[in-house]
Amino acid sequence: MVGFNDAVMKEVQGLFKRYPKKQHALLPILHLVMRENQGCVPEGWEDYVAELCETSLNHIRGVITFYDMIRKEPTGKFHIRVCTCVPCGMCGGDQIKNHIIKKLAIHPGHTTPDGLFSLEEVQCLAACDKAPLIQVNGNNPEKVTEESIDIWIQEMRQKG
Amino acid sequence: MLQETPILTKNIRSPGYDGSLEAYQKAGGHKALEKALKSMTPETVIEAVKESGLRGRGGAGFPTGMKWGFMPKNTGRPSYLVCNADEAEPGTFKDHFLINRDPHLFLEGLIIGSYAIGCHHAYVYIRGRSQAPAARLQTAIDNLYKAKLLGKAILGTGFDLDITIHRGAGAYICGEETALLESLEGKRGQPRVKPPFPATHGFNACPTSVNNVESLANVPIILNMGPDAFKKLGSTNNSGTRLVGISGHIKNPGIYEVEMGANLKSIIYDLGGGMRDGKQIKVVIPGGTSSNPLKPEEIDIAYDFDAVAKAGSMLGTCSLIVLDEDTDIVDLAYRTIVFFNHESCGQCTPCREGTFWLKNLVRDFHDNLGDQGKIDRIRRVAATMFGTSLCALGDAAAGPMKAFVEKYPEEFRKHFI
Repeated sequence: MVGFNDAVMKEVQGLFKRYPKKQHALLPILHLVMRENQGCVPEGWEDYVAELCETSLNHIRGVITFYDMIRKEPTGKFHIRVCTCVPCGMCGGDQIKNHIIKKLAIHPGHTTPDGLFSLEEVQCLAACDKAPLIQVNGNNPEKVTEESIDIWIQEMRQKG
Repeated sequence: MLQETPILTKNIRSPGYDGSLEAYQKAGGHKALEKALKSMTPETVIEAVKESGLRGRGGAGFPTGMKWGFMPKNTGRPSYLVCNADEAEPGTFKDHFLINRDPHLFLEGLIIGSYAIGCHHAYVYIRGRSQAPAARLQTAIDNLYKAKLLGKAILGTGFDLDITIHRGAGAYICGEETALLESLEGKRGQPRVKPPFPATHGFNACPTSVNNVESLANVPIILNMGPDAFKKLGSTNNSGTRLVGISGHIKNPGIYEVEMGANLKSIIYDLGGGMRDGKQIKVVIPGGTSSNPLKPEEIDIAYDFDAVAKAGSMLGTCSLIVLDEDTDIVDLAYRTIVFFNHESCGQCTPCREGTFWLKNLVRDFHDNLGDQGKIDRIRRVAATMFGTSLCALGDAAAGPMKAFVEKYPEEFRKHFI
């Protein structure tokens, strides 16, 4: 169903109070939409958000397509971001990415058929001293090795 | 042997410090805030910051006090202070270090800064992917409200302030101040035409100052030790300390606080511990991926704005990426340009098309399809990009590409067809 429930609506009203105009709260509201919809902005929600923020549908579409984090497809239960930018890339980020691709049999931008894992290749996770990094959902980025990834994937598969 | 100078990191480096409000106040926190609100006028705060010579820590190095001084008074419109915590430059992680380990230090600076420019609602723009730091920051802010250090009549004075955290959504360009303001207004993060500058027409077309996390963290320190003592730290025209983030093939990567003007080579060897596995340095990127690479023979310099600029690069965010002898320069250049091509907002033609062409040209070398004509073309495209876009992203992409082909031609020749 398109539309926030009463509890989330309260959060939205709280957000509106913190900005001079309703449109200013667009990004936080899109984050709420994604939180409530498996990490994406599904069909139909664009109109709803446009009305909520008192702006046009075209404006919403422009914003959604501009920002990397705003997705149209749901993420898996564990959304893996792997960094291949300069410091991570020079410290083995590509090997980590390729290892995950092989292990999960999905390319970046895709989700495993069981809906457990999704993969995204990103540029910089702001913890470059620990390169190479991955980030799972909203957690802090972590230093990984091929072995630590194998163990983690195994554990998550068992947990489901 | 170069040692750290723990000023900003004094709390963080003391054992058992957890960054909570109680711990911060126990370590002498909020003294500067009390001093500013109770015994100083906004003008004298700005004067003290000007006097200290503090230069912005976000990359450009613009004097913070002067930035605040530009804010017009009595315009009849609200003024805003926006803290830039977007930090998306590859190699940079100092702001997240402060937010995670000692959030109250820069928040105190944010409150003092708001008082100085007459702001009653400040925003912290934090990068979208940093959910955990944003949550930590929200807890810190909630605790400040509970302790009546935010909200109405702070410390019993007539000063009111609210702070709102605004999460971005994964766009590097939103670290540029006018793009950040667009994003804060719920728009695509595309830089604005300047002038008018944010000081007169910023957030919601009101007077706005955008300051980096580390710049704000310095403000309570300046008020506590006095601008003269602060000026004694660092080198001429570069006062204070810097948080240097070292990454790459270094033995001890991490954040180190040094006085401005410390020797760059000593930072790498004495603090970073030198290279892993006893290897030699091949390239040092001194200020994040936007800065030009330095060769190992060029790093015996003072690490401050002016000396690094004189060496043909820039200090930027003080993010040292140090890479060893096994590094393939073409691979490094390719990763750099892939980043900029991905992050170009697409507004200005030279940057949007230029980063795309440069990426394709460097990819040819990456695929061993290079030739001399392509090297010349990289230089020509880069030359077209300098100074022809609204913001600095085009220049930041073109500069390193030009520097890579000029400084390491033999590396590119290895990838000729």
